[in-house]
Amino acid sequence: MAGLTLNHLYKRYDNSGKKKKIKNDFAVKDLNLVCEQGEFVALLGPSGCGKTTTLRMIAGLEEITDGEIYIGERLVNNLHPKDRNIGLAFEDYAMYPPLNVYGNVAFNLRAKGVDKEEIDRKVREIAPLMQIDDLLEKMPVKLSGGQKQRVNIARAIIREPELLLMDEPLSHLDGKARQAMRTEIKRLINKIKCTTVYVTHDQLEAMSLADKIAIINFGVLQQFGTPAEVYDDPANEFVASFIGEPPMNILETTIINKEGTFYFTFADSNLQIEVPKRYYEVVSDGFKCKMGVRPMDVLIGGPDSTGTSEQIATFENLGDERRIGIRVGDVLMMLITEDEKRYKRGDVIKLEVRGEKTHLFDIETGERIREKN
Amino acid sequence: MARIQLQNVKKAFGKVQALDGISLDVKDKEFFVLFGPAGAGKTTILNCIAGIAMPDEGVVKFDNDVMNLIDPAHRNVAMVFENYALYPQMSVYDNMASALRSKLYKTDEAEIKERIMWAAKTMKMENLLERLPSQLSNGQKQRVAMGRALVRTPNVFLMDEPLAHLDAKLRNAMRTELKEMQANLGSTCIYVTHDFMEAMALGDRIAIINEGKIVQIGTGDEIYYMPCNEFTAQLMGDPQINIVKAEISGTDKEYSITIKVNGEDVVMALPSDSGVYSKFSEINPDVVDLGIRPQNVKYSFEPKDGYFKATVYSYESIGNKSVIVAECGDYQLRMIAPNGLNVAIDSEVYIRFELDHAIFFDAEEKTYIVRYDEASFIALAAAKEEE
Repeated sequence: MAGLTLNHLYKRYDNSGKKKKIKNDFAVKDLNLVCEQGEFVALLGPSGCGKTTTLRMIAGLEEITDGEIYIGERLVNNLHPKDRNIGLAFEDYAMYPPLNVYGNVAFNLRAKGVDKEEIDRKVREIAPLMQIDDLLEKMPVKLSGGQKQRVNIARAIIREPELLLMDEPLSHLDGKARQAMRTEIKRLINKIKCTTVYVTHDQLEAMSLADKIAIINFGVLQQFGTPAEVYDDPANEFVASFIGEPPMNILETTIINKEGTFYFTFADSNLQIEVPKRYYEVVSDGFKCKMGVRPMDVLIGGPDSTGTSEQIATFENLGDERRIGIRVGDVLMMLITEDEKRYKRGDVIKLEVRGEKTHLFDIETGERIREKN
Repeated sequence: MARIQLQNVKKAFGKVQALDGISLDVKDKEFFVLFGPAGAGKTTILNCIAGIAMPDEGVVKFDNDVMNLIDPAHRNVAMVFENYALYPQMSVYDNMASALRSKLYKTDEAEIKERIMWAAKTMKMENLLERLPSQLSNGQKQRVAMGRALVRTPNVFLMDEPLAHLDAKLRNAMRTELKEMQANLGSTCIYVTHDFMEAMALGDRIAIINEGKIVQIGTGDEIYYMPCNEFTAQLMGDPQINIVKAEISGTDKEYSITIKVNGEDVVMALPSDSGVYSKFSEINPDVVDLGIRPQNVKYSFEPKDGYFKATVYSYESIGNKSVIVAECGDYQLRMIAPNGLNVAIDSEVYIRFELDHAIFFDAEEKTYIVRYDEASFIALAAAKEEE
């Protein structure tokens, strides 16, 4: 059963009052998405891509221009937010400052007129889950950011919603607290098995938390798939460069045919990489496209390597790993190594690129060029 | 370019002691990083060097000249801020020229042009010179802000988290560019950051600052491999280092450690290492804190010889690799694993430490005692020093 279905969803903000005509005025454009019951879906994209608008439409906080939203089997287009049976956790915690943590968590149930013992049972049940059992008597001002966000989430899930919506719940936290909180959310969702939609602009959060990721740009869905799918099999250049840190190296290339073997070549560089055989049907001599390869698929060859000799432009020792940059034309091609050797700028290394791991993208549209099946 | 020295600098804001006796000696042409958590006093140090803040006590010297009473304009420092502070009504070219055209530096236009062209080339922004700041992306704005600092020949560049406003991708790219640029520049630079990757990648030396004091000064390698205490060890590395209380037993022939995992004792023999063994026989500790980085913790999903049992608390991807968090009673262990494993939460996991990468800390003072292969890391640091 589907937990949430978005059917041809559109959103256009009314700009009639503004002097300037905005060209691309659809904030969300023809969005189709099906989240299975209990699935954790991340909406991922750069700021202004329409991910929060989508979430607000699901919550009922924003009118929809066209399309249908189903929560479970119910069409909710015309339902009030309070009747949609959803839990909300936003970036800012919006707690009631005069109430202690217990009061904040219990607030919704009290408002609904649930009886006191039932409320108490539920609060005591959820508190250890969110690790707020020793905070129940504290006032919101006494809490750290991470604690506040835990209370905030506890408040959203105590209503046992059909659908949990979270909008960047971690973005206020600093690095360490965020790392810990990510782990907590992951465990919690695993336990309560509630269908969840999670908005973030941080690819790492999406990759680490979600069962499936919907990548959105300019209001248009770019790809919807599991973390492994969007990482290994990106639909286009945008997805390829948005997922992964450091991002995929993407270089403009001209493919040449040398005695029956195709090679990627690059302007102002003597680097040549063999084109995987599976692309032979779609490329030709002089074919121009973009080549993408992840930094971990670029290797340093040993002493008898047949790779191209290249000078190191940048060497960054990051402790856990080391990153090396090589100039290919005016693009800096990055590679990652965990080996302990220290290089210097100007050192020459043999570069080996795992040709079989390369992706091709159309030079104009950025769409993936795939091999023929 | 100049050598910058701070001697016992103190600065208080009301009751808060922002700087509590800071002494630094930044060599000429060095890229020096001030690194620490928010509120540590990093920016205040920068402000004292620039002359924006006045130290309550202590001396600031440029090339052995005391600068305490010299006003900021005459210290000849170039600052680059987190918010770019560009003049919005001026083109990029005029923004870059503004300092040189001021009364203080009055440079003739031909020379201004020559310097701007050089700086623009170094920062790869020749095509932006005619634009207004509003027509630039954030990354480009930061480039202009740096370019504007470059056209002068200041005693020192002071950079206050110049990359902090940029998104992750741009920050990485700019960090790499900055590293490449720095090599061409050969200038003294003091750089404030709270991002350990920036500190490691850019700094010739790093000073770790906490609560207005210097915790440690050293090269990236020294600080990463031989952190002077647990605070520093936890700052360097992501995910952060695991620290576990361990009892030491044995004699100088053979040492072993015992740790508690979910209430049960797990005994591990310490591999032989002359540095570690001689240190232990010298100080004879009963209990130490064992520091082990996530990449040196190995896992298996089947029982295996030399592995102890724990339960999976979570499994999350951090981009190119993943982290398994294991529950061990009153602490958790983080370890690096590849992406795409099928790991069920609360399932069993078997763990082994690669103890020949361990770092030992005093259980009370939390200070560094010794680590494996210490001699080779000291040699590594010495080699860097010679460069």
